[in-house]
Amino acid sequence: MISVSGLTKKYGDKVAVDDISFTVATGRVTGFLGPNGAGKSTTMRMALGLDRPTAGSVTVNGRRYQDSPAPLREVGALLEAKALHPGRSARDHLRWLAASNRIPTSRVDEVLELVGLEAVAGTRVGKFSLGMGQRLGIAVALLGDPPVVVLDEPVNGLDPEGIRWVRTLARQLAAEGRTVFISSHLMSEMALTADHLVVIGRGKILADCSMRDFIADHAASYVQVRSPQHAQVADLLRGAGADVTPVDDTLHVSGLDASAVGELVGDKGLYLHELTLVRSSLEDAFMTLTSASVEYSARARTDQAGALR
Amino acid sequence: MTVTTESRTVELDPHRFVPGTRPGFSSTLRAEWIKFWSVRSTTWSTVMLFVLGAGLTALICAASAGWLASADADESPLSFVTWGMMFAQITAVVLGALMVTAEYGTGMIRATLAATPRRGPVLAAKGLVLAGTLVVVGTATAFAGYLAGNWFLDREGIGVALSDEGVVRALFGSGLYLAGLGLFAMAVGLLLRHTAAALSVVLALVFVVGNMAFLLPGTWGDWVTKVLPGNAGGVVTQAVPFEGQLLSPWTGFAVFAAEVLTLLTIGYLVFQRRDA
Repeated sequence: MISVSGLTKKYGDKVAVDDISFTVATGRVTGFLGPNGAGKSTTMRMALGLDRPTAGSVTVNGRRYQDSPAPLREVGALLEAKALHPGRSARDHLRWLAASNRIPTSRVDEVLELVGLEAVAGTRVGKFSLGMGQRLGIAVALLGDPPVVVLDEPVNGLDPEGIRWVRTLARQLAAEGRTVFISSHLMSEMALTADHLVVIGRGKILADCSMRDFIADHAASYVQVRSPQHAQVADLLRGAGADVTPVDDTLHVSGLDASAVGELVGDKGLYLHELTLVRSSLEDAFMTLTSASVEYSARARTDQAGALR
Repeated sequence: MTVTTESRTVELDPHRFVPGTRPGFSSTLRAEWIKFWSVRSTTWSTVMLFVLGAGLTALICAASAGWLASADADESPLSFVTWGMMFAQITAVVLGALMVTAEYGTGMIRATLAATPRRGPVLAAKGLVLAGTLVVVGTATAFAGYLAGNWFLDREGIGVALSDEGVVRALFGSGLYLAGLGLFAMAVGLLLRHTAAALSVVLALVFVVGNMAFLLPGTWGDWVTKVLPGNAGGVVTQAVPFEGQLLSPWTGFAVFAAEVLTLLTIGYLVFQRRDA
């Protein structure tokens, strides 16, 4: 379990992480979602004792990361794919890490096989593709068979097959009872992987809820109905237990699906001019939630971009 | 879209793999040793150290033996048997600086500190691996250079015996000096965190500033010249120094060692405080 409490990090006047508190529970995948520059990596670095918090604390399994006698056996982390010396082979990189925490050397070959890098174990990592570097990073995270796994943007640079592999792996690690904490700026990826969601924007927590609640709250779907017999249809659907909101000349119906609405209306011999299922995507919900807190936003200048093409 | 169900929780003891004792300093040391020898720059630098140190000594002895044996000679052959070590210094500086700047340059420092969060032991392990290697390789290089160079001197009848005053001290001193210089560069690397910057500063200080200081006037100029790291520490590597006005070998080395320790302490304090 990871407990973050009142965590703050300032760089000069700039507040990167602003008094955030949340817990990452055992046995599930917690997604840490936010736009670039929201403070995700800074928070993760503080969790690993690499950066010193300005205020507050973060503990892993009840103590500061720095106080762990063998941190790699307690917390496995993928920080940046390129936290490697390009001239060292993948196996040597894992070997020194294993030695530093008294992890048996046999484990090195195990994790290389687990991430599918056994064939290139002796190759210098400078020659690795982004995806291979990412796989090696995950091998590093799993080296100590840790109960807590922290992955910062693990799917960056992976191909679709690799992305699915990470997703399955994360779910499997959580199912084994481990604490899995994954950061991403991609809502769509988190929706498929995470059980719980912590959304951060400009250093502040914007949402901390289960994935299910997040979907229910932010990606509500409804049936849009238009009928010449507006009032009658509204009463009929209300009578059937649906939640009906009139919007202009349409009705937004929730609590019934499109086919049920159609059948109810048809049974009464009423006319429908429109029956549409409207669903806002999670991506939209995330964008809306974080739009106020995006650090670097590109102004839409599609006309010019088009002209350049 | 599938909403995944909350997975069942298996109780894993978070400390189950942690043995009763911390992976101690020996583990950190072993990790640094593996790191040090698993990149090519280490092999290249140590080979260069040997080639420059022993090779150039042999070369200068071969070239100067005739002159040294003649009546015109105004230098002692004793000054020549460790001559190449002056150039071997460069490789020690490179190795020392890379020991930390390579980690900052690549971001590896984060992996290092995530594996071993206590920074004191990390620095101590790095220092030991570096200094240990340089003492052994440096001393071996000095002996090889002496044996090769002396072969040419012997042919002219001006051979230098190990029992001659200062010879053994110069040979072991060469290893010690290279180790100190490596640590000096490592400390500068720790402060600057940039390979090119650290190399420029140390090489300029030892080779350029150290030599230009001889031009400084007056008593204070003499003292500055004497205590500059390259000048103070370098005397111990020569059986008979080329320059007469420097500190005596062990006094000089003590001054140099104090300078290295001071810089390492500053480097350590900064390392301890700074975000990785």
